[in-house]
Amino acid sequence: MDTLIKLIVFLPLLGFLTVGLFGRPLGNGFSQVWTSGLVSISAILSWVVFWDVGFAHNTYGVHVLSWVSSGDLSFNWAFQVDTLTAVMLVVVNSVSALVHWYSMGYMADDPSKPRFFGYLSLFTFAMLMLVTSDNLVQMFFGWEGVGLASYLLIGYYYHKPSANAAAIKAFVVNRVGDFGFALGIYACFLLMGSVEFSTIFADAANYKDAQFHFLGGDYHALTVICVLLFVGAMGKSAQLGLHTWLPDAMEGPTPVSALIHAATMVTAGVFLVARFSPVFEFAPDALALVTIVGAATAIFAASVGLVQNDIKRVIAYSTCSQLGYMFFALGVSAYGAAIFHLFTHAFFKALLFLGAGTVIHVMHHEQDMRKMGGVRHVAPYTFFMMTIGTLALTGFPFMAGFYSKDIIIEAAYASHAYGSGFAYLMGVLAALFTSFYSWRLVFMTFLGESRAPAEVMKHPHGANGFFWMPLTLLAIGAVVAGVLTHGLFTGEERFEFWRGAVWTTQGDVLDEAHHVHGLAKWAPTVMMVLGFLLAYYMYIVNKAVPQQLAKTWDGLYAFLLNKWYFDELYNFLFVKPAFAIGRFLWRRGDEQTIDGLGPNGVSSAVAFVAARVRKVQTGYLYHYAFVMIIGLAAAVTWLMTSGGGH
Amino acid sequence: MTQAAIPNLAPALAEVFLAVAAMALLMIGVFANAQKAFGRTQVFAALTLVIAAVLVISGAGGARVETFGGLFVSDNFSVFMKVLVVLGALGSLALAGPYLREHKIARFEFPVLMVLSVLGMFIMISSNNLMSLYVGLELQSLALYVLAAINRDRNRSTEAGLKYFVLGALSSGMMLYGISLIYGFSGTMDFDILAGFVAGHAPALGLVVGMVFVITGLAFKVSAVPFHMWTPDVYEGAPTPVTAFFAAAPKAAAMALFVRVMMGAFGDTVDSWQQIIIFISIASMLVGAFIALVQTNIKRLMAYSSIGHIGYALVGLAAGTTAGVEAVALYIAIYVTMTLGTFAAILAMRRDGGQLEEIGDLAGLSKTNLPLAVAIATLMFSLAGIPLLFGFLGKYYVFLAAWQSGLVELVVIGLVTSVVSCYYYLRIVKVMFFDEPDGALEPIQGAGVRAVLSISALVNSPLSYFLLLAPLAGASAWAAQSFL
Amino acid sequence: MTLDAAGLVSFSFYLFAAITVASGLLVITARNPVHSVLWLILAFFSSAGLFVLLGAEFLAMLLVIVYVGAVAVLFLFVVMMLDIDFVRLREGFQQYLPFGLIIAGILVGELITLGGVWQAVGDVSANLADKAPDATEVDNTAALGQLIYTQYIFIFQTAGMVLLVAMIGAIVLTLRSRPGVKKQNIGRQNARRPDEAFRLVDVESGQGVDPSAFRQTGDRE
Repeated sequence: MDTLIKLIVFLPLLGFLTVGLFGRPLGNGFSQVWTSGLVSISAILSWVVFWDVGFAHNTYGVHVLSWVSSGDLSFNWAFQVDTLTAVMLVVVNSVSALVHWYSMGYMADDPSKPRFFGYLSLFTFAMLMLVTSDNLVQMFFGWEGVGLASYLLIGYYYHKPSANAAAIKAFVVNRVGDFGFALGIYACFLLMGSVEFSTIFADAANYKDAQFHFLGGDYHALTVICVLLFVGAMGKSAQLGLHTWLPDAMEGPTPVSALIHAATMVTAGVFLVARFSPVFEFAPDALALVTIVGAATAIFAASVGLVQNDIKRVIAYSTCSQLGYMFFALGVSAYGAAIFHLFTHAFFKALLFLGAGTVIHVMHHEQDMRKMGGVRHVAPYTFFMMTIGTLALTGFPFMAGFYSKDIIIEAAYASHAYGSGFAYLMGVLAALFTSFYSWRLVFMTFLGESRAPAEVMKHPHGANGFFWMPLTLLAIGAVVAGVLTHGLFTGEERFEFWRGAVWTTQGDVLDEAHHVHGLAKWAPTVMMVLGFLLAYYMYIVNKAVPQQLAKTWDGLYAFLLNKWYFDELYNFLFVKPAFAIGRFLWRRGDEQTIDGLGPNGVSSAVAFVAARVRKVQTGYLYHYAFVMIIGLAAAVTWLMTSGGGH
Repeated sequence: MTQAAIPNLAPALAEVFLAVAAMALLMIGVFANAQKAFGRTQVFAALTLVIAAVLVISGAGGARVETFGGLFVSDNFSVFMKVLVVLGALGSLALAGPYLREHKIARFEFPVLMVLSVLGMFIMISSNNLMSLYVGLELQSLALYVLAAINRDRNRSTEAGLKYFVLGALSSGMMLYGISLIYGFSGTMDFDILAGFVAGHAPALGLVVGMVFVITGLAFKVSAVPFHMWTPDVYEGAPTPVTAFFAAAPKAAAMALFVRVMMGAFGDTVDSWQQIIIFISIASMLVGAFIALVQTNIKRLMAYSSIGHIGYALVGLAAGTTAGVEAVALYIAIYVTMTLGTFAAILAMRRDGGQLEEIGDLAGLSKTNLPLAVAIATLMFSLAGIPLLFGFLGKYYVFLAAWQSGLVELVVIGLVTSVVSCYYYLRIVKVMFFDEPDGALEPIQGAGVRAVLSISALVNSPLSYFLLLAPLAGASAWAAQSFL
Repeated sequence: MTLDAAGLVSFSFYLFAAITVASGLLVITARNPVHSVLWLILAFFSSAGLFVLLGAEFLAMLLVIVYVGAVAVLFLFVVMMLDIDFVRLREGFQQYLPFGLIIAGILVGELITLGGVWQAVGDVSANLADKAPDATEVDNTAALGQLIYTQYIFIFQTAGMVLLVAMIGAIVLTLRSRPGVKKQNIGRQNARRPDEAFRLVDVESGQGVDPSAFRQTGDRE
């Protein structure tokens, strides 16, 4: 089994190295099939591991290499495979494999396929490093690795300035989070003297009253650590405040959005907090922060999603919002529910993205829903798939999202933790919004009259098996993932299933959540229906309403359309001052002061002096002789005056 | 009237041989067929030098021996330096053929004068008396003056010879004046007696001033600042093989003489000359580093480079210790190999039947002649003192010696100028490897040029850093034992 | 006032020394280069006088014969034959004069100081090399010869080599074998035989003779 786990992690690396180094000579076809094949093998093996860990109740620790052993600090390259990791392995590898296959169709016209598939495999490897790590540093390695791959893939169309800008934005915003994460790692080491999970989790209880003394204040050590780690998680998972990069990341190719910015990388933050649940449990303040940020993100992103017109952006905000759900589930200690939602969300969100990708492909790379409509006529199967995805996302009964979202909202209702009431309200409201914008997307895209140029509708791009196969598999997942596994993740079998991989106890919030009844329990479903009806009314029955609303509430509309002016705010608060400082330091500090006095100044001074001294080299004999005499006289004078002799 | 004993010739066997052989060579040249005269004398001169080196080495190992009434001394240090001088002379003699023939100055006197100047250098190196110092110096200088001007139909060459001659005469005059002061204030010109005299007494002011005058003359010969002004003009004007000879052999000899006078005769009054040596060392390093920055002619560049390198070698002398002498010996040995290789490379710079001397002419050499470019790059890296090359080793030794003597400022300035001088050495590498070629150079002419270039590039390559490091360091340490 | 022997020596020394220094100054300040050489000759003469005062008659004669008789006269010829524009050479003289005077003044001052401290140096006679043979026993020339050919043979021989180099140098730098100059090769001339010198040719009428057919082997040089 150890070999199996190593294979799972290293096969994508092998794929990346092969096509990264030899992609050109090996050719497009080989690069695609080779990487996709390797990742698919990884995916199949992941299911084997999942089965073994989840049902046969094994846990594995695989030592690969010693990495650092320096003083008190020592850790290894090692894989720790428990239930949490197994779930992530399944999610990452399955979605990745499907996205690889899908990309073969989607990227058919792209000239640099080896690069694309290489990046995808690199991302997969880094993500696997992240989820299998048994210590913080290796996790950080994976964390940065996925950041890098994300940067490369967002900027994949490097000839587009907007793609480059989006890539840089994603990278820079993630830096903020990474800084928190790195500080969290330092704090962990400072407090516990170790960066290995086993030690940290075992010792967490011993440090529950520990304090950090910093700048004259005392702070609860575990809270500090958890908040810092959560800042990292916020960056990666695009939580309110550090979310601005995610919608822009849609500049990347759509399969990338499906893989990285819906199913896997953005859930790394959720994974991190779930992984650290044994520590977070001792830091209730941090949990409250997680709850509030999560709930706020859920409602914020859903509200922005209501009015977006770009099909991918709608799904991107949906992702953001769903991540908010996961976080407030974590915040109320319903870790199982959060991972459950992560699991189901991966299927239907990847399905939605790939479906949207298919639509975009069919519509000749048109992303604006206002220029769509009636696409069901040209892409009926995609319409079917997207409907399944939408049903799952909005929580239609017995679909995947129904189980995972309801248990989260119920947990928030049942919890007594700080912020849980707020989370419940926001969760329910966001469910309404989710339903509305999801159906709005379906209605605007697939139903009604076509608003696209007639030429496009007459000659849609064909979609082949590379499109259908991943969509179908994901759709199956979106339908059955909830029914089959809700018992494992959140039900009675959860103790057996998790075995401490995330913090679970008897009588915890999930237990209480199962005892929620009445309106509170059915509220999300009601909201879902309400949202559907609203969308149906506004986009099918009376199409004038949206415009009227937008006109009546133009302030609100602009507020939502401009994403609550976060970008503008950041631009004003950070970007512009940063540029101003940068420009000042560049012009005045670097060019004028450091270069001026340093390299440039010295070199020009040297050139000046050298040119002057060179003039002494006149070529005239008597000048040379004169210099010699002067030298002699100077030496003698110096000796006689300094008393070198007696 | 007393019967004088025949002096012991054994320690000076190499010198005697050289003197006789030089005259024999002259006869060979005069009576040989005009076409063959140069070739013959060249071969025989090379043979003569080799035999002289063998004689020198075979006489090594014994204790210090004086002869000719104490005028002449043979010790480890003299053996080491004489071998270096022979290497320098052999190298430049090997380079000379094609160039001289092309410029129609392949005269048989050339090798003869070279041998005679080597004789002068031998006498300098072995001198143990201010008089033998002076005649040795004059012998080698006079031969060098003629060599510099040997392309008498070219203005630059005659100008070079004349400048060197006039300034050399001036420096000789200063030196003689200094010698007379020393004699007047000590009653002797013998180094041993002088050493004993300054050890016993606090040195008289006149003695010290005389010493300064002598230092002036020696500094002129090693082209240390401010007595360096002739160097760029003479290097540029003289025929390139002669320049190679100038840069290699006389530098070694004059440096050896410098060490012998300072450490031998005035070794016990280090305080009184250390400041002067430090000053000219710093000045040489600065001029060598900075003025070279604006040079475009590679021979002039090498002139400033040699000034800089002499500055570094003088750092070792300024230390005033045995370790310093060892460092100087090592430095000069490495310098000779580097400089010979560089001049071989300069001779290899030919295009359209003409000799090139501008740095820009090397543009894109890596694309047209990679082996040559790599060889030159190796030499440049070594001259710049990049670690793992010989040039670094030399600098390391002199700086270490100076550091141990507490001359921290000197070391710091040396490091700074090393960094600055990296610029122009690496600029040549940059021009060769990153600029677009103007056109290919001609294939290298002459087996001698090829041999000298490849040997010196190999010696300066990292490979031999490991192979030759121990023997060379051992030899220089052995040479420095003479000044324990 | 009468002069005793010692006083006469002192007087002569100062006289010769003053003449030497003064004529030395005039050598470099005289406007006419011929005058400069003449002043130089005077300086040599007075130096010779100083040598005589020191009891070195041989050196004094050498100075007069070699330097005055040969070198200086040669100089005179050279200077007169070369058309040197001394006015141009003196350009910049005024410009550099002040600074040059300062440097010279400093050096002279220092050297005078040295002269002042010379007396303060202790007895150095222990350092002296073997004394020259007593002048009362052997004459000056013989004494010089005894030292030069025994104790200082090394220096003497090396000086000989220096002269050899000078000779070679002079030849190298000046001797030219000009092409086209007719030179007599007596050996060749004597060795010439009739069959080399004559050739009988039948000239056909009206054809003339090809001149190239008459190129003689001996005409090459």
